Amino acid sequence: MRRHGKFPWFAYLVVILGGVAMVMPFLDMVMSSFKGAGEYGVIPYKLLPESFNLDNYREAFSQLELPRLFRNSVIVTVSVTVSVLITSALAGYALAKLRFRGRAVIFRFILATMMLPPFLLLIPTFLIMLNWPLAGGNDFLGRGGDGGLTTSLLALILPFTVSGFGIFLMRQFMISLPDEMLEAAKIDGANQWQIWRLIVLPQTKPVAITLGLITFIGTWNEYIWTLLISSSDPSLQTLPVGIQLLQSFLDPDRTMPIVMAGLVISTLPVLVVFLVFQKYYVRGVVLSGLK
Amino acid sequence: MTTAVGRVGDDRLAASPARRLGRLQREGRAAYLFLAPALLFFCVFLILPFVFAIVLAFSDWGGFDLGTLKWAGTANFGDVLSFDGTFVKLILVNTLLFAFGSVFLATFGSVLVAYCIDRLAFQGFWRVLYFLPVVATVVAIGNVWKMMYQPAGLINGVLNKLGVNSIGFLSDASYALPSVTVVQAWASIGGAVLILTAGLKAIPEMYYEAAEVDGANSWHMFWSITLPLLRPALLFVLITQFIGGLQSFALIIVMTGDGGPVNATNVAAFEMYQRAFKYGAWGTASAMAMVLFVIILAITLLQLWVARRRGEETS
Repeated sequence: MRRHGKFPWFAYLVVILGGVAMVMPFLDMVMSSFKGAGEYGVIPYKLLPESFNLDNYREAFSQLELPRLFRNSVIVTVSVTVSVLITSALAGYALAKLRFRGRAVIFRFILATMMLPPFLLLIPTFLIMLNWPLAGGNDFLGRGGDGGLTTSLLALILPFTVSGFGIFLMRQFMISLPDEMLEAAKIDGANQWQIWRLIVLPQTKPVAITLGLITFIGTWNEYIWTLLISSSDPSLQTLPVGIQLLQSFLDPDRTMPIVMAGLVISTLPVLVVFLVFQKYYVRGVVLSGLK
Repeated sequence: MTTAVGRVGDDRLAASPARRLGRLQREGRAAYLFLAPALLFFCVFLILPFVFAIVLAFSDWGGFDLGTLKWAGTANFGDVLSFDGTFVKLILVNTLLFAFGSVFLATFGSVLVAYCIDRLAFQGFWRVLYFLPVVATVVAIGNVWKMMYQPAGLINGVLNKLGVNSIGFLSDASYALPSVTVVQAWASIGGAVLILTAGLKAIPEMYYEAAEVDGANSWHMFWSITLPLLRPALLFVLITQFIGGLQSFALIIVMTGDGGPVNATNVAAFEMYQRAFKYGAWGTASAMAMVLFVIILAITLLQLWVARRRGEETS
């Protein structure tokens, strides 16, 4: 407690001022989403709207096809999260607990995958999706079709189904599970699949929540790849992309409050999930920082 | 003989080398089955695109028909790296300013905030507060700040109240890059605060107690205890955020649309994106990506080298 007693007034001042800077943009977002025509973009600036009317929210629903955007976001996010959890738990177990030739090499390879920045793979991955064999009218060599996989929601899911970081996180966690327990199950006649499914998997719950949350939030907010894929097929838009594109349609002074209403709607689910599980998220960030 | 321990012992005694080998082989087969989905994925979505990215950087290709792809040698790199062109002189400089600027602001801010939070009650609450931008989509962050930067927005409103004239944060070419840099810093401060507060917690209380006995004030303690012992966490934050800053362009698309005004906020990864998907110049775009990748790889390897050297020092 001695560390706390020193100069708390100064610490409070810094943290509260910084906290205001952190919260103000979100407050402005919420307040602007209630501003009516003639209230937004007027000098002098006022933070509070004249009334809390819901016109912008109604407008957002009619202009944006929010249900479709929401559905796409949910399908993509849930698929990616479930897939990352399963594949990470499988690979993490092999790397943590099984003895086999090439284990060290594969583990190093997994670490190296985290060093490849996403922007480098953007162009070739797009071209690969476009020329995906036997999809979107392509022949088995990936030629001749119209758009390949880029016309399907799979294009937003497949490139994110496995995460090197996820495998690393799972492996680090599983390595600390006691060997005796796995050995005992083996003696009792369990095969590796049963050991993984019945003994290892139930114990990974805390790290699975951390990884699931990081993946969920990252996928829900993903922007660049979705923008690229949906630029030729708008039916694939997710919430962030759909809301951003609304901007280019109409006069910005009129659309900005509607965009803000859309953003409030799209941010709320992640915010709720984050606040409920924030303990796990925080631990994940710290773990990834102190490896 | 019925206890598990006893049976493990018996099994070890009875196992001939051949039987043990058989068990290892079975375990190896199981291991590769467990790894199969991940390895398959990395072949298709990592190794293949990576090789493709290298090939593209050395080729001349427009359109989508692989048959028309021609080998171009290092011509793309010649174009991209020529000192008369905009890529080196303007865009790469912007990229470095954006990355350096945001890392400097975020690190300075997060050290200050983390150090102060460590002294307060309700630490969890404060950390979550600073972490909120990390949870929001870049579309929300970019648009809200774009709105606040407008002539009729919050920031100019405050400036006007203080008697300062409105500033065209995003429309004035000399303010645009600093303006987006501040937003990048704002968005990344929360993650840094988390890692730094964890680093602060790891500093033993007794150092501070000893310093206090010797009559050190808070300022002394910060400079001679906190900062040196925080160095590993600080270095990690600095380097990961710098690498992140070098490759991030989503914020710039959202806030300025085209890297404007007149290229003022254009950065390398965004130029690559435009060249590829607006003009279909796969070769030039891939050469740009490769240049940026080499810069990032060099920094990553430097970080690993520093971390390893420190590891040897302490062990």
